[in-house]
Amino acid sequence: MSYTISLTVNGDRRDVTFEDARVTLLDLLRERLALPGTKKGCDRGQCGACTVLVDGRRINSCLTLAVTLDGADVTTIEGLARGDVLHPVQASFVEHDGFQCGYCTPGQIMSAVGLIAEGDVGTDPERIREGMSGNLCRCAAYHGITEAVLDAARRMTDDKTRKSA
Amino acid sequence: MTVAKPLPHDAARLHVTGAARYVDDIPTPTGTLHLAFGTATIAAGRITDLDLAPVRSAPGVIAVLQARDLPFANDVSPSAHDEPLLSGSTIHYLGQPIFLVVATSHLAARRAAKMAAITYQKRDAILSYEDAMEADSRFEDGPRIWQKGDTDEAIDTAPHQIEGQIAMGGQEHFYLEGQAALALPGEDGDMLVHSSTQHPTEIQHKVAEAIGRPMHAVRVEIRRMGGGFGGKESQGNALAVACAVAARLTGKPCKMRYDRDDDMIITGKRHDFRIDYRAGFDDAGRLAGVEFVQMTRCGWAQDLSIPVADRAMLHADNAYHLEHARIESHRLRTNTQSATAFRGFGGPQGMLGIERVMDHVAHTLGLDPLAVRRANYYAPSVAGGLSAPHAAAPRPPESISGQMKSGEDLTSRGAVDDVPPGRALQAPAGVQTTPYGQPVEDFILHEMTDALAATADYATRRTGIADLNAANPVLKRGIALTPVKFGISFTLTHLNQAGALVHVYQDGSIHMNHGGTEMGQGLFQKVAQVAASRFGVPLDAVKITATDTAKVPNTSATAASSGSDLNGMAVKAACDTIRDRMADLLAEIHQTDAAAIRFEAGEVHAGGKTYTFAQVATLAYENRISLSATGFYKTPKLEWDRIRGQGRPFFYFAYGAACSEVVVDTLTGEYRILRTDILHDAGASLNPALDIGQVEGGFVQGAGWLTTEELVWDEDGALRTHAPSTYKIPACSDRPAVFNVALWDAENREDTIYRSKAVGEPPFMLGISVLMALSDAIAACGTTYPALDAPATPERVLAAIQRVRDAD
Amino acid sequence: MSYLTPTTLDAALGALSGRDTEAPVSVIAGGTDWFPAQGERAYNGTLLDVTRVEGMRGVSAVGTGWRIGGATTWSDILHADLPPAFDGLKLAAREVGSVQIQNAGTVAGNICNASPAADGVPPLLSLDAEVELTSTRGVRRLVLAEFITGVRKTARAADEIVTALYIPALSAGARGGFTKIGGRKYLVISVAMVGAVLTLSGGRIATARITVGSASPVALRMGDLENALVGADLAEALERVTPERLAALSPISDIRGSAEFRGEAVVEAIRRTLTQIMKGQAHG
Repeated sequence: MSYTISLTVNGDRRDVTFEDARVTLLDLLRERLALPGTKKGCDRGQCGACTVLVDGRRINSCLTLAVTLDGADVTTIEGLARGDVLHPVQASFVEHDGFQCGYCTPGQIMSAVGLIAEGDVGTDPERIREGMSGNLCRCAAYHGITEAVLDAARRMTDDKTRKSA
Repeated sequence: MTVAKPLPHDAARLHVTGAARYVDDIPTPTGTLHLAFGTATIAAGRITDLDLAPVRSAPGVIAVLQARDLPFANDVSPSAHDEPLLSGSTIHYLGQPIFLVVATSHLAARRAAKMAAITYQKRDAILSYEDAMEADSRFEDGPRIWQKGDTDEAIDTAPHQIEGQIAMGGQEHFYLEGQAALALPGEDGDMLVHSSTQHPTEIQHKVAEAIGRPMHAVRVEIRRMGGGFGGKESQGNALAVACAVAARLTGKPCKMRYDRDDDMIITGKRHDFRIDYRAGFDDAGRLAGVEFVQMTRCGWAQDLSIPVADRAMLHADNAYHLEHARIESHRLRTNTQSATAFRGFGGPQGMLGIERVMDHVAHTLGLDPLAVRRANYYAPSVAGGLSAPHAAAPRPPESISGQMKSGEDLTSRGAVDDVPPGRALQAPAGVQTTPYGQPVEDFILHEMTDALAATADYATRRTGIADLNAANPVLKRGIALTPVKFGISFTLTHLNQAGALVHVYQDGSIHMNHGGTEMGQGLFQKVAQVAASRFGVPLDAVKITATDTAKVPNTSATAASSGSDLNGMAVKAACDTIRDRMADLLAEIHQTDAAAIRFEAGEVHAGGKTYTFAQVATLAYENRISLSATGFYKTPKLEWDRIRGQGRPFFYFAYGAACSEVVVDTLTGEYRILRTDILHDAGASLNPALDIGQVEGGFVQGAGWLTTEELVWDEDGALRTHAPSTYKIPACSDRPAVFNVALWDAENREDTIYRSKAVGEPPFMLGISVLMALSDAIAACGTTYPALDAPATPERVLAAIQRVRDAD
Repeated sequence: MSYLTPTTLDAALGALSGRDTEAPVSVIAGGTDWFPAQGERAYNGTLLDVTRVEGMRGVSAVGTGWRIGGATTWSDILHADLPPAFDGLKLAAREVGSVQIQNAGTVAGNICNASPAADGVPPLLSLDAEVELTSTRGVRRLVLAEFITGVRKTARAADEIVTALYIPALSAGARGGFTKIGGRKYLVISVAMVGAVLTLSGGRIATARITVGSASPVALRMGDLENALVGADLAEALERVTPERLAALSPISDIRGSAEFRGEAVVEAIRRTLTQIMKGQAHG
């Protein structure tokens, strides 16, 4: 039995047909849609390297069946920047050295974008650390990661305030 | 100059946009096949029947290979040829690869690999230290023993004695990017291998052996790893060899990636250790003599266990002058994963032994452990400033064989050392020596400790903590300041060499290549900073290229913290060769002295005229001057006889100190790290931002090893903690709430690249301060010494608290 | 494997009806437990995704109590406007894996998975939660303690869907709490956990519901202790938490901790939960 779904990935509408319903969103992105920026760390939903946004919320793409996403809006690390202009979270990770080997970085950044959008933690470093605990970094660049998220959260809040003013 | 600047990682923009490619991200040609191992489900025994028919008939399966199907060498060992790619019939550990499935997809290969019907004849597995000692199951013919002075006499006649034991667990690397390889067959039997490896030359060598071709037929390339930490020094051999063999057989590209569970079950980890100690000391806690018996479970194959265990012995002194010391080391062979390299390479384990002794001595005497540590420090470095490179004295060549023993892996740390005994070293008068006879001439921990104790407010906080503990029966705090002295160089002397290849193109852009590999430590950026500085050009003029065995041959692993030291110097040599040629040309044109020509800020100043660097490159090309050069470096001053345990295995020492404070809930054993202050010696840092990242990351990883990261094997030898749900590496919320890291800003006494120091491994051992702070907190529960083992999980902490309380 | 994503309850129930003898049908919502449990095994059954069934998601006041739809995620719970008796459930919601998991995983999925270490179960038991099971045969309600029958076992029939959980009326002033003891701050491996709901009168406990998880095959209410706590102020309450009153527990030794360690951790976890509620302290 084959399944056809239609979803939006990084703003582009994609129609995808599967022969096997057991394809995860992670495998769909990496193997079918040529978007290898989303990484496979543990494939069990425990390291966060595969984090993407589905309808604006962060989820582990390794635990999500692609077939469940008919009509969904998916954003991956490849879809964050606007042309040459980095998303504030991306820019902040560069500035604060929020990585070493870089393998967990796409997941960290997508998780941070989701965290800031959730709006629960503001700029409280302790709450940011809690909110980012689902993204492991074996290089332990956690200092830079926390600083990067904090700084991006501040910048994005300021931007919002300025726009609404 | 671009050196010494805090520039971000070279691929920062690629990382944050998801464009940085790792092996599994390389687009593969249509028809690429995927591999998986079928693995043993017992720890020790023999296969009596192997039915692979269900595997062969599984969907998508192209081929299934057993040991007897391998065309050439069935060996992926980096040392003793004792590690077959596929087991013939003997099973040495639970998880050992038995057969190889080649299929049309990763999932098809993995599913098929589970379908074999295997019958075993089990035998009792050797799992524990006791099992192995009883069966005399070990590597080498007996324990390695190094002795300095007369320890029995020194201990027995000292005013006080202690003895004890500390056990410490192993550690899973948990590089976020699992092991991966991709082999692409070429014409005439050639093979291109992409491997996530710290040691491309070894991959090249093992692949060449496995496909029966000379090394020139195999090219290995690696742009970056998603973390290595030592776990990709030898553990990638199996995947690369499997891919190459399958690619040769099928004529198709072959790719292999371990899933996380397989990665944890199949590959080696940090060696666990158990150290027995006995020490004699005076009223101030100064050690008169100390004895260590180190036992380590090496797992089933030798891998790199010999040099790991050597390095544990080499760090049994840490920062302390031991006049009478005896170190005995047992390298036990067990039916578990073959323990391998992991950041620190045995150093952390050896160091933890003496740090435990310091803590135990202080507790026994009721002294501040920091006072005891200081009392035992090596003497301060002798004045006289930086040491110049000494003129090479005539000496015998390092190897006298010149013959490659059959298939020997000369570039591996596991290689057999046939260096003739070096000259007996004479320490300069008044200079203290390590237990293995190396003079300690650069000891800066007195100053560093003073500085850290001041900035961390150690003394005041220690008093405050004692008051808090007296007033609070449930929550106990603890604080500890511990030092690190770590030896820099490969202990297999001939590995301390590196090569580089640099091209300058006619437009002035620079292509740089060297033998080091990038795994997040920032090596490529540091070395590029060196190249840019030598040519006086901006950093973006230098193209950093993937490590490639066809560009720089016969490289050593990127390991032992040596990456920047070795490759930085090799790149410098190559750049200087080209720069000197350019300068000679300009000197001739302008009839001036080549030494007067300056390369800076993208310009070249010669005889009153200013060129752009690109103009000089064009000029050189037109004048038929070669703009390509190799560079080579070998570390000076090394002499080492590992059997006698005598010589100078290290070019220099890197230092650091950390002060950690913890709070323990004595009802549950739960704890938090409240604050850590670190002062770390990176010499004259090539890049302070990258170095601070290494220090922070190393500390957190070291603290993880000693606290939350617990490996558990059951009585059948099965690793029970084989996923992140049960094996807990530090998360974002686990770093200390207050975390201050600073670099000790002083030039390396030895002539290293821009007088910097290696920084990959030494900070890992700063994590010891956390274990000692926990011990300090537990000690506040009573009068007995806590004797806390590692990892200090809440359960172990609670058990130690109860021991202390029950004893009172 | 086939996949169904009905949008009405009737369609979902129809898909389950009469299929129990054929290839298995797995009801999934977030799928966060189902995937890791499957591993590489081939799965020939049908996945019935209930996340798009109308009316399955969300928390609402129903009569004097509360209804939690079967496809309500942990993030939904965290962001719902609920009285203080739910504080324990909210604290538990923050402990269910990472936020990525909380955004996908559901309350109903947590109880159907029936892990002894399920974070949601102790607070739900202390809230006297009832489980609504619906099939083409009709609707039935079970109290949660009867729904979970053992390790990874429930009373759900193959043709039934957990359509909702109901929390009966709560006395005004009831307050909830939750404590999990483990190795680190977040993403903890639970050694012991406690969910409690107390009502207080003049600083003394009027009613107590105390549930312990991770220390027996199924999370259990501590009836003896609950009775003993009535009338106690905080100091007295802490003293009354004794191992004898927790005799119903049977902690096991495994890679997460020894039985002995767990037994001690339970006592402390209960005391912390009582303190948390009675002092109105935030979880920390």
